[in-house]
Amino acid sequence: MRVRWGNLPARARSRAWGRVRDLHMGARFAFTGGREGWTRVLLTAVGVGLGVALLLLTTAIPNALSVRHQRDAARLDYTYSQNRPPKADDTLVIADTDTTYHDKEIRGRLVEPEGPRAPLAPGLTKYPAPGEMVVSPALKELLDSDAGKLLRERLPYRVTGTIGESGLIGSRELAYYAGTEDLAPRINGWQVARITEFGDPYPSSERMDPVLLLLVMVVFVVLLMPVAVFIGAAVRFGGEQRDRRLAALRLVGSDSRMTRRIAAGEALAGSLLGLVFGTAFFLIGRQVAGSAEVFGISVFPSYLNPSPALAVLVAVAVPAAAVLVTLLALRGVVIEPLGVVRTARPARRRLWWRLLLPLGGLALLYPMLGKGRTNGDFNQFLVVGGVMLLLVGVTVLLPWVVETVVARLGSGGVAWQLAVRRLQLSSGTAARLVNGIAVAVAGAIALQMLFAGVESDYTEYSGNDLRRAHMQVNVPQGVVLAGAVEKFSATRGVREATALSGTDVGDGPWRTEQSPDVSAGVTIGDCASLRQVARMSSCRDGDVFAVSGADPDADTSTAKLARPGRTLYLHTSSGMEQVQQVAWTVPAGLKSARAVKDPNGFKRGGFLMTPAAVPAGAASAIGGSVFLKLDESVPDAHEHVRNTASRVDPRTVAMVWVSSAQSRKFASIRTGLFVGAVCVLLLIGASLLVSQLEQLRERKKLLSALVAFGTRRRTLSLSVLWQTAVPIALGLLLASAVGLTLGAVLLRMTGTPVAVDWSSVLAMTGIGAGIVLTVTLLSLPPLLRLMRPDGLRTE
Amino acid sequence: MTSVPAGALLAAQDLRKAYGPTTALDGAEFSIHPGEVVAVMGPSGSGKSTLLHCLAGIVTPDSGSIVYDGRELSAMTDAQRSALRRSEFGFVFQFGQLVPELTCVENVALPLRLNGTSRKEAERAALVWMARLEVDDLARKRPGEVSGGQGQRVAVARSLVTGPRVLFADEPTGALDSLNGERVMELLTEAARSSNAAVVLVTHEARVAAYSDREIVVRDGRSRDMERVV
Repeated sequence: MRVRWGNLPARARSRAWGRVRDLHMGARFAFTGGREGWTRVLLTAVGVGLGVALLLLTTAIPNALSVRHQRDAARLDYTYSQNRPPKADDTLVIADTDTTYHDKEIRGRLVEPEGPRAPLAPGLTKYPAPGEMVVSPALKELLDSDAGKLLRERLPYRVTGTIGESGLIGSRELAYYAGTEDLAPRINGWQVARITEFGDPYPSSERMDPVLLLLVMVVFVVLLMPVAVFIGAAVRFGGEQRDRRLAALRLVGSDSRMTRRIAAGEALAGSLLGLVFGTAFFLIGRQVAGSAEVFGISVFPSYLNPSPALAVLVAVAVPAAAVLVTLLALRGVVIEPLGVVRTARPARRRLWWRLLLPLGGLALLYPMLGKGRTNGDFNQFLVVGGVMLLLVGVTVLLPWVVETVVARLGSGGVAWQLAVRRLQLSSGTAARLVNGIAVAVAGAIALQMLFAGVESDYTEYSGNDLRRAHMQVNVPQGVVLAGAVEKFSATRGVREATALSGTDVGDGPWRTEQSPDVSAGVTIGDCASLRQVARMSSCRDGDVFAVSGADPDADTSTAKLARPGRTLYLHTSSGMEQVQQVAWTVPAGLKSARAVKDPNGFKRGGFLMTPAAVPAGAASAIGGSVFLKLDESVPDAHEHVRNTASRVDPRTVAMVWVSSAQSRKFASIRTGLFVGAVCVLLLIGASLLVSQLEQLRERKKLLSALVAFGTRRRTLSLSVLWQTAVPIALGLLLASAVGLTLGAVLLRMTGTPVAVDWSSVLAMTGIGAGIVLTVTLLSLPPLLRLMRPDGLRTE
Repeated sequence: MTSVPAGALLAAQDLRKAYGPTTALDGAEFSIHPGEVVAVMGPSGSGKSTLLHCLAGIVTPDSGSIVYDGRELSAMTDAQRSALRRSEFGFVFQFGQLVPELTCVENVALPLRLNGTSRKEAERAALVWMARLEVDDLARKRPGEVSGGQGQRVAVARSLVTGPRVLFADEPTGALDSLNGERVMELLTEAARSSNAAVVLVTHEARVAAYSDREIVVRDGRSRDMERVV
């Protein structure tokens, strides 16, 4: 039923009007309270604004990632198809020439339009002519700078244009399209392809791994919870000053309900201004984000659009929370006339209902224990609800813990006594201050445990032997390997270059539709290079070896084929079609060799051939790899190698060896957690500092008086440190306990054995403690200033 | 050469102090003898509190001399002046000097504790002084739980607990009604005289100044000694 204002009885209407008037009066007080009033409103607004901006930014991230994904899909040029469309006026030959420069990925494409209707890549208005290129703005910037000197050697094309936003996935993405000729003969279906359109030919609705999804959900909850706690703290900035003003209002006739409503109105005004500030911060942050790159990910400002529903939720929830928090905060305060504000003796905090929240959280998560990855369709509501309840549990348990512990703290020096007594008088304030850090640390410990637990599932060990080579360059077919080795050997920073090429050999001709019945591998290289893959008694150019000691299947095939005089066929396919059949007769002087692990960690079976033994026509039809040992003390050794590789052929792929590589998604979620955690901890640190300074300002007169009668400044500084350190220590202890519990539960959910990653527990608690120390250090100069005798002046 | 009046415990000559463009003291003079109560009077903004702060070593004057017990205050380091305030001076201010989180007895014991006295010993001495100031029943209460007059008596007890030789009182009754103010002044001067402490009493109220032996009027940063006519 719709209630119309005009239908309300007169008394109810006047009551409602009175409430609105009180709220309005509070809002006016917020802006007309002189310098102090403005300071308080600004503090609240900035605090709420920072929180709101972070919330908006977080809600915009999924959209940003989705736009990046769409843009990336729209420019896909891989066909991975055996069907090569014939040359026509609407075809384009495109080659993948991605490279890396100083650990930054560069997306590179060589393009050769075959007709006027060749598909145009997103972000381009026309294709560059041979010898020219169009580049992303970030790449142009890099090439124009001193830092891009080596890269200019690798990309010797003339820059004639810029790739538009629609062709890039981020504002800082490094990308280029270079015009070229004679690409068509090199089409192999994967690195070089003929296409008629851009875009994913097989769009898939790929589902995210449930464990990764679980990680994403928990990361979001863990990062957003402290922001919510922070906003709760921000609306209480300057509360004590406000209480004094409210006392004055009581004197002139406000009843206690009116004063509460006036206070709520004041908080509402601060939070509404905070929303405006937050929107402004968000818009500024959005622009800044456009020129920033975090862990290799950048976005255009236009990508950062929060979902409208979530933005509305933030706009409604933040002011509502501000009013609620203010009313809750005023519960324990008795505001009396005569300028006296007396804090009512707070009722002793009860434990039972505080335990209900974390227990409730555990109960929500319990049904999902042991589901693991295979059955891990984790219920999103249960996960988010359970994790939230556990983390909220920290915020409601902490005041009880702080109160209970500080009540039992014994005597000590004057600094300790001042701090402990202060904490005993207002343990709630202290707990509120550290709640944010406690929640962030609890969440981070749990996530670090989960990350550490499932890390091995998402980490692939390369098996590369870094003692034998530091880089590997894969050289495409058609490039003479010996020439390439020569160039690499002459490159700055290269100590040793070993070339190995390889293919297969079969008992019959290789056809697209049918492979030979029996086949084995063939590795080609000079004697020194072949010794990298097998042990042999003697070796001369022209020798051929049959290898044993690889895996049993390979050994069986080799034994079947290694019959002198038998004709075998080398596999020389370019990937698209059979180029030519190269027959090879097993020589009479076939020698034997024993396989050892090659630099990649594999044992190669089949045959080993020295260059003179390779049948005519085969060498140029087989691709190879050059393994490079570097003098890593030479600056930019990797870049010099990549430049040589590009000169050998732009299609070469140069890789720097690492011992292990992590799943991209896993690594980016982990990166997201770090970025988020840093933002959240900075925010909390700022809030701690503001609260600390505000408390100190409130006590300016007292501090000056204490110094006047001889209190050492060191005593007061130490008391400030204790005052922060005690609740933080308790908060971190509780956070560790809750974090370890949550971590154990999450690991059980993923079916991973529970193990505590103590280093991360120590790191997280250390970061929390570091923040306290930093805040204390930063608050020392104002503290020393406040202790000056000026505070005693009353006129 | 600075000349100190004979027998003076604390004396100041030609004190000058400015806060930015505002001159607070402009050649002020002062002296006090042991056991003497001197009222420093003057209108608001005349510089009387600044004079008190300079005499107590809280504020360093721009020029002039302050000699306490034969020692030049301006020659002392900040730490030495702090130690002096802890051990030989006592303070009572208009408001804001009690630490709200400490109980009244802990507040009174605080100066002794700052001097290194054990907690038990300090609180025992504090209770003796609280009894003399008739506030021993408030020992376990916090400042927020007592009235303004009671709180000021607790502050007086605290200022005397170390047995200071000079007690500085800056508008000690400024926030009290006349009845409470008179009681506080009676107790303060009585307790100070009984322990032979000199009292520098800053006030703008004639009825408070009436408790002193001598009055000094400060106007525009200059002081003038007014012999009391009894």
